[in-house]
Amino acid sequence: MESKKTNRIIKNGLVYAILIFLALMMLVPFAWMISASLKFNKDVFVIPFQWIPTEPRWKNYVDIWTKIPLSKFTLNTVKLTLIVTCLQLFTSSFAAYAFAKLQFKGRNILFLAYIATIAVPWQVYMVPQFMFMRKLGLADTHLAIIILQAFSAFGVFLMRQFYEGISDSLCEAARIDGMTEYGIYLKIMLPLSKPAISTLIIFTFVNTWNDFLGPLIYLTTESKKTLQIGLKMFISQYSAEYGLIMAASVLSLIPVLVVFLSLQKYFVAGITAGSVKG
Amino acid sequence: MRKRILSSLLAVSLVIAGITGCGNAASTSNKAEAQTQTADAGQEQKDDAQGATDEAPVTLKWALWDVSSTVYYQPLIDAYTAEHPNVTIEMVDLGSTDYSTVLGTQLSGSGSDFDVVTVKDVPGYVTLVNKGVLEPLGDLIKNDGIDLSLYNGVTDQVTIDGQLYELPFRSDIWVVYYNKDIFDKAGVDYPTNDMTWKQYDELCRKVTDTTPGAEVYGSHYHTWRSTIQLDGILDGKNTIVDGKYEFTKPYYEMVLAQQKDGVCMDYATLKTQGLHYSAAFAQGNVATMNMGSWFIATLISKIKEGEYTDCTNWGMVKYPHAEGVEPGSTLSTITALAIPTTAPNKDVAWDFVKFVSGEKGAEVMASTGNIPAMTNDKIVDLIAGMEGFPTDEASKEALVTSHTYLEMPANDKSSEIEAVLNEQHDLIMNEEISVDDAIAAMNEGVQAIIGQ
Amino acid sequence: MRKRQFKRNLVAYSFIAPNFLGFAIFTLGPIILALVMAFAEWDGNNPMKFVGIGNFIELFKEDRFTSSLVNTIVYSLFTVPFTLIIALGLAILLNQKIKGRNFFRTVIFFPYVASLVAVAAVWNMLFTPAKGGIMNQLLMNVFHAQPLKWAASSGTVMLTIIMFSVWKNMGYYMVIYLAGLQGISEDLYEAASLDGAGAWKQFVHITIPQLKPTTFFVSIMLTINCFKVYDIVYMLAGGSNGVVGKSAMVLVYYIYEEAFRNWKLGKASAAALVLFAIVLAITIIQFRGEKNYAND
Repeated sequence: MESKKTNRIIKNGLVYAILIFLALMMLVPFAWMISASLKFNKDVFVIPFQWIPTEPRWKNYVDIWTKIPLSKFTLNTVKLTLIVTCLQLFTSSFAAYAFAKLQFKGRNILFLAYIATIAVPWQVYMVPQFMFMRKLGLADTHLAIIILQAFSAFGVFLMRQFYEGISDSLCEAARIDGMTEYGIYLKIMLPLSKPAISTLIIFTFVNTWNDFLGPLIYLTTESKKTLQIGLKMFISQYSAEYGLIMAASVLSLIPVLVVFLSLQKYFVAGITAGSVKG
Repeated sequence: MRKRILSSLLAVSLVIAGITGCGNAASTSNKAEAQTQTADAGQEQKDDAQGATDEAPVTLKWALWDVSSTVYYQPLIDAYTAEHPNVTIEMVDLGSTDYSTVLGTQLSGSGSDFDVVTVKDVPGYVTLVNKGVLEPLGDLIKNDGIDLSLYNGVTDQVTIDGQLYELPFRSDIWVVYYNKDIFDKAGVDYPTNDMTWKQYDELCRKVTDTTPGAEVYGSHYHTWRSTIQLDGILDGKNTIVDGKYEFTKPYYEMVLAQQKDGVCMDYATLKTQGLHYSAAFAQGNVATMNMGSWFIATLISKIKEGEYTDCTNWGMVKYPHAEGVEPGSTLSTITALAIPTTAPNKDVAWDFVKFVSGEKGAEVMASTGNIPAMTNDKIVDLIAGMEGFPTDEASKEALVTSHTYLEMPANDKSSEIEAVLNEQHDLIMNEEISVDDAIAAMNEGVQAIIGQ
Repeated sequence: MRKRQFKRNLVAYSFIAPNFLGFAIFTLGPIILALVMAFAEWDGNNPMKFVGIGNFIELFKEDRFTSSLVNTIVYSLFTVPFTLIIALGLAILLNQKIKGRNFFRTVIFFPYVASLVAVAAVWNMLFTPAKGGIMNQLLMNVFHAQPLKWAASSGTVMLTIIMFSVWKNMGYYMVIYLAGLQGISEDLYEAASLDGAGAWKQFVHITIPQLKPTTFFVSIMLTINCFKVYDIVYMLAGGSNGVVGKSAMVLVYYIYEEAFRNWKLGKASAAALVLFAIVLAITIIQFRGEKNYAND
């Protein structure tokens, strides 16, 4: 009994040691960002790196709002991100249900087509896609960005895999009770898939929030541009204001972390008794 | 079902192909056709341009980059619209980092509505010309009697198959910047406007201090290929696109020796660390640095704002020269304006391009501290008279050039040649292969590209 | 019977339609066009010229392409298993009741969302080619080895990129595994405990099989993302002048250069088709494996 207890203490100690080491490794970039955000550009990449700036430049956090229309950009990004995330969530969980739980003709081929398209680098079809969108009058509109992001194959794939993990017997029982497929999706699958939905929200949010090349190509009017384009505006042809970039980056991280943390509570459902512990 | 899906997919793709295909057919015309068209347009154009001044309002869309940090766009527009009140000019900022990619995409097909586009570099210019999206300017230039000799021969270097598709409005030359405080402290004479490469090397070594923790670097080479490799073309005997690179050897050997002796910072560290040349110079421990004249504006404004405190006492001199060659030869890069074939208001666009690249535009450029493509003594005075420009005579004199060579002349394959040269430059400076092996690889690689 | 089958199909299509319509028109269509482009010469403006398999012949004659292919495969071969195993381990660890669980989860996810510039800058501080760098000090003083030039040397640049990639992305895949772990019913573990199965046995017989759909997803997405690696190569190997040599050239970087520096969209498409074929083959093999499992 005694030895089991000390065993566990050693084990826990080891686990924490690993985790704390990892956490430090992961937090260093964050510390770097904050430190750099309080410096003049000329001091950002100088080695040895000064972790605590002798004269912190809080002005960077003021300048970013006046040098470019950052509040407008943020507003645009928020709008795009919210719309895309909602659309993505709805359409892909809906489609994923069919791929996971319904038998129909062409299922495997269609599904493979979905996955396969993920493998094609965007750089290759960017030009024809742009020309097509422009023909539809969608160049320089937010709608173009929404369309590009909202119907990605990624979401369908992710949700389908999670539904696969849910036992078929649940659906069968509901079908025998006379529930329609729409009812099963709404009343059984959706409530069960909170962790997967949370994951999809996080990923879609991060992707849309950080998307750069898409908005860059499509949005040419200043008032329609997004946060990530704004960040790049601090890199001009002959100089780059990394102090300002990092200040804006630190701020732009906050919403992402808020979303991540607030969805954490949906990641605790399943097993509580750990499988490695004991 | 499977068939149906496949056929519907096919239908969709055909629709897309059709749409894009049509776009192409409409927008593309072979060069001969384009030329005759513009010949006609050239005739009509004169009357149109004159008529336009007091006629219907026109809005020109101008593609460019860095609107918020470039000081001359608005003054240029103001100067033009003062003369042409019916014209409004809308700037479209495509960002500097991916400018060529975005511009190339925007000009694909026939849907673009840009009237004037800024061309950032020569490889970007060549690809746009190859794509056939730029209007040839030859006839317009001839009809309006524009004197190309005022551009110091630069326009010859961007003429492709006898045809010119852009008109430069900004030109940057390379000079050597130096930190006077370091020379004063070391008791060494300042660099001069007439140095051979050997004298330059000796000078750099004289001011170098390798004491750990208190290093002073006699020279600084940014990680670009241009900073070393192109020193070799300044004697006028070689070019960078001939497929023969033996001439680069002495310059690589000089810099490699400096790197080994701690005269300049190590390339590998500079490359991975991502230190910008401006930040390097601003640290106050770099004695000399070869860089383009665009750095003048940065230095002046950053010193004024109080960010740069360790290089406030700076000066500049002409590039060093090879033995037996007169001083004043240097590298240059140009920024130019062009008109897309799809431009809705070609006549007014040409009028604007003419203005910006011409004498009046040049004066506006110079008054903002930037070197216009068209230079004369008045322009040099304007720049050297700017507040914050070094007051010594040598720095002003450094702006006067005898020959300028483009960093990359217009060549059909310039972007591919550049890729080969860049890679070998990287290997040499990382000391992974010998200079001779790298030169052999450059010769072989570039000759293969030219031979295609 | 046929009518029922028809109705069933109809219901299924109604589920798929909202996503599929958008997907087919705006993504699948242009992609198919891009794949057709692989057999043509096109600069985005002048009319397409069909050249058959000419683009492919040109590709495989080119040093830069073949080395980019080899580099990409080597990169994926190492990155996929390492990332997968570490992500799974972390997910299992952080699925237990330990103090500060949410904190650790967030922190490990962090490098994925942080600015690439910042992450790369910190990485370069550790792995700087200078002798004074932390990793080089470690090599010299603890392992008595020669200092390495890491990202600045053609011998070690891929190694550096692989390590960086695992570090940056493991948090992302950990989140997916965490979601997958929530889907496993607790009853299974309880039943196994009653049968006297230990932790290891539970892991092998319950966790691993139950996570199979998630692992399928993770391994495919990882493979695809590895084959599409681009920005971290540009960041680490390109450095301050953006020059990426043959030793670090990867497929998508090559594609990018061909497409937007040389405007050879046909050749870029051909390279993408090679990438596409490899990934599709891997996917189909794994897909077969998954279906076998489902039939068991």
